[in-house]
Amino acid sequence: MTIIQDRPGPQPGAPHGTLVEEPLTEFVPGPRPRGWVKFITSTDHKQIGLNYMVTAFIGFLTAGLMAEGMRTQLIAPNNHFVTPDIYDQLLTMHGTIMLFVFLGPFAFGLANYIVPLQIGAPDMAFPRFNNLSYWLYLGGFIVMTGGFLTNNGAANFGWFGYAPLTNAIHAPGPGADMWLIGIALTGFSGIFTAVNTITTVFCLRAPGMVMFRMPIFVWNQLVTMFLVLLAFPVLTSALGLLWADRHLNTHFYEPGGGGQPILWQHLFWFFGHPEVYILALPYFGVVTEVIATMSKKPVFGYKGMIGATLSIGGLSMGVWAHHMYTTGAVLLPFFAALSLLIAVPTGIKFFNWIGTMWRGTITLNTAMLFTVGFLAMFLFGGITGVVLAQPPLDFQLHNTYFVVAHFHYVMFGGSVFAVFASIYYWFPKYTGRMLDERLGKLSFALLFIGFNLTFFPQHDLGLRGMSRRIAVYDSNLGYNFLNALSTTGAYITGIGVIPTLINIFKSMRTGAIAGDNPWDGQTLEWATSSPPPDHNFESLPPIRSERPLWDANHPDELTRVGH
Amino acid sequence: MKIEWRTILGASLFLGIICAIYWFWSTEDTGTALLLFGFAAYLMLGGYLLLQWKRRHGIPRSEDKEDATYAETAGEHLGFFPAASIWPAGMGLGGIFVGVAMIFGNWYWVIALPLILGSVIGWSVESEAPEDVPDEVEAARRQDTNIDPADIADTDAPAHP
Amino acid sequence: MSSLSGRLLATNFGSPPGVTVGDKYVRSLWHITYYIGTPLAALVVGLIIWCLVRYRVKPGEEHRVPAQFQYHIPLEVAYTIIPLILVAVIFGFLYGGEDKITNVSKNPAIKITAEGFQWGWRFTYPNGHQEQGTYQAETNINSVANLPVLYMPANETVQIRLISDDVDHGFYIPAFLFQRDMIPGVNNVVDLNVTKTGTYLGECDQLCGVYHSYMRFKVDVMPPSTFNSWMSSQAPHSITNAGVHQ
Repeated sequence: MTIIQDRPGPQPGAPHGTLVEEPLTEFVPGPRPRGWVKFITSTDHKQIGLNYMVTAFIGFLTAGLMAEGMRTQLIAPNNHFVTPDIYDQLLTMHGTIMLFVFLGPFAFGLANYIVPLQIGAPDMAFPRFNNLSYWLYLGGFIVMTGGFLTNNGAANFGWFGYAPLTNAIHAPGPGADMWLIGIALTGFSGIFTAVNTITTVFCLRAPGMVMFRMPIFVWNQLVTMFLVLLAFPVLTSALGLLWADRHLNTHFYEPGGGGQPILWQHLFWFFGHPEVYILALPYFGVVTEVIATMSKKPVFGYKGMIGATLSIGGLSMGVWAHHMYTTGAVLLPFFAALSLLIAVPTGIKFFNWIGTMWRGTITLNTAMLFTVGFLAMFLFGGITGVVLAQPPLDFQLHNTYFVVAHFHYVMFGGSVFAVFASIYYWFPKYTGRMLDERLGKLSFALLFIGFNLTFFPQHDLGLRGMSRRIAVYDSNLGYNFLNALSTTGAYITGIGVIPTLINIFKSMRTGAIAGDNPWDGQTLEWATSSPPPDHNFESLPPIRSERPLWDANHPDELTRVGH
Repeated sequence: MKIEWRTILGASLFLGIICAIYWFWSTEDTGTALLLFGFAAYLMLGGYLLLQWKRRHGIPRSEDKEDATYAETAGEHLGFFPAASIWPAGMGLGGIFVGVAMIFGNWYWVIALPLILGSVIGWSVESEAPEDVPDEVEAARRQDTNIDPADIADTDAPAHP
Repeated sequence: MSSLSGRLLATNFGSPPGVTVGDKYVRSLWHITYYIGTPLAALVVGLIIWCLVRYRVKPGEEHRVPAQFQYHIPLEVAYTIIPLILVAVIFGFLYGGEDKITNVSKNPAIKITAEGFQWGWRFTYPNGHQEQGTYQAETNINSVANLPVLYMPANETVQIRLISDDVDHGFYIPAFLFQRDMIPGVNNVVDLNVTKTGTYLGECDQLCGVYHSYMRFKVDVMPPSTFNSWMSSQAPHSITNAGVHQ
């Protein structure tokens, strides 16, 4: 059933300025599939967005369980909870699933659901293509996790898969191939989503929604998608070469045949560093939206914020080799300079967030609490990032637990907290019902305490010289207490996810009715019903600033933006 | 359109400069090739958008105009938004089986190929289904919709002085 | 944790003291990062907490709409320029230190080849003598008795060539605050000048397969005279296997 979508709004007949004149056609929603058929065939961006987010959250729980397994292994020195081989599989799949199945695709889910709503579009530009990219993503998830069911187990060479540990001799069996193909499938899915989102943002904006009126979230998603467009093809081709090495006896990464293992590192990190920002930028956008809405203020320094996002995106493509300082084969000052420079736009963002809160009226609900948690944790992760960007300090700390602590502060304390903030912020829009605040605050408290207890001690472990990815450690080196502490924190973090899960299941049926606009929101997604109807909008407010709904709801002069 | 192509060509230029600096400073091949790829990829995208902008004689679309109203674009044909389709799922399954064939052996092409080919056919036939397009739209589309730049008065002027 | 706070108060700000000549560059970078990072973080956290405390909505004024302002150009320029300057300062400091640490001397006192393989080490001295050991000799992680040993003279430039037989390994000695990867196809040469004699623990820190955690070694830094007499007592092309008593 095909629908031809028209711009919502009054009857046509404008005197001038119409580029393509076509008569207003009837809006004919066909018979809607329900249940499983809907899940499989729906091309509605909202359905696909929810599919993405739910699948991604399942990925989060899966990889989270693997993390609990790893922390249990490390609770005591010379522990034998799992064998070293299983431990390697766990650490590989934990990293792979968290990055390729959870954080990235959760952001793609948000892009699917929120971006068309925020720019006043009826759907994504290519709805069926969108559906296809979800299936490739789900297939990738299943294929890479299926490695655990094979004889040799899943991939066990780390999520970065440094050659030549990944070749047919050192990693025999289908587990490694399943890892490789799984990532390639999610990679294609990412590229498709990127093409779709970019086209949507460029071609389906509502009249008056000029580029510099788009919400920061949309801008951040746009820059993210451009990074995806550059990074994922590199990864997919690198994986293709690896597959050829494994199956066709080529020697791209084989030192014995004239290949270069370091080539893999370059290709992988040329993908890998933009990937870090692919996992962070959308969540910066989430945080910006939450802060602005909960403070009832416009985003402070809107254009500076966009400039900062663009510079982070640009710089992130020139810093890949700061993951390779210790290889001795890269140009240190070049990468150190660019890596340090990224601190500047990130700092601008921080001050803009503070400026947005400044003299506002801040509602400290669960979404805002997670956002504040994000700010504090990401700040700390950013500063340890400045430490690691300096080659002499990286020589000391590379591949130690200091690095583990650093990127978990960025990825967990940063992005995952923003994931939770996005759930609490947009759940009313998804379902029409509010989430329970008390369970939400309980979840936040447990996650915040558990997270810091898990990862703060790891900074000290790294400084003491405990290296990453070791399944057992010596009991005489002073690692014991800190590891036990860290594992305790990991359990608390795990428990902290449960209240949110209960909350979601409970509130879907019994939560308070949210109404269209529970937060006094500023952007267009709150201008439609909750959940939005097919093709999103019955009518739209006129778009004359970057927060059209606020202008419509607060028409008096005092609530206009003054400079 | 203007901001779109400027942003992307800007990113391309940035990567080009970085690439040049990197090459002369490090003379390392892999990174230079990758940066060059990034430069070219964005150049292609930005160039395409620039071309589209030129083709419109720089006339802004309604989403590029600060004072655009819904009235002037109401009824504008946005495109096809199919409500539901089985073919993406079929093609996705086919794509996954291509992956499985690359892992477990060429056997699985027997499943993958029919799935993909069938879905391609189904998909393309579906989007051309004539009965799905109301007659008025079909008729409107056949009309000549040439643009005369003179008809559009000074649309680049900002909305708020 | 108490020891962390103790170390924070000491001059090295959390980082353990190193025992090589490169230590002073590492230390200066820790210092400059702390001097810049701590006040900046305190400022940002303070501002966030201030906002939350001061501007949190009070009961009864939920519908108050605050003043709507969006730009403050001088302020925005300030918080762009100042971080740029701070970053430039950090870069200035690291640029010098990094050259010193990665510098490779033309005439070192001794050249040793360190070879990593799954899962053990082989150290080859100029006269062909080899010290080696693998994880099979040492499966109890709590004991360091049977690990292969890298013997080095103190206070002299020791040049170590790092090679790998199979997959990527990492040559990491925590006490030296230094590591370098061993990648097939990449010829890495590092200079170490240790100022303090003693025995240190080294390890592979690049995931290299199942028994990666067991791939460790000891470094024995001796006074030059002791080292020279040890060196001359080793027959050319002899091999010492760790954990095997000869």
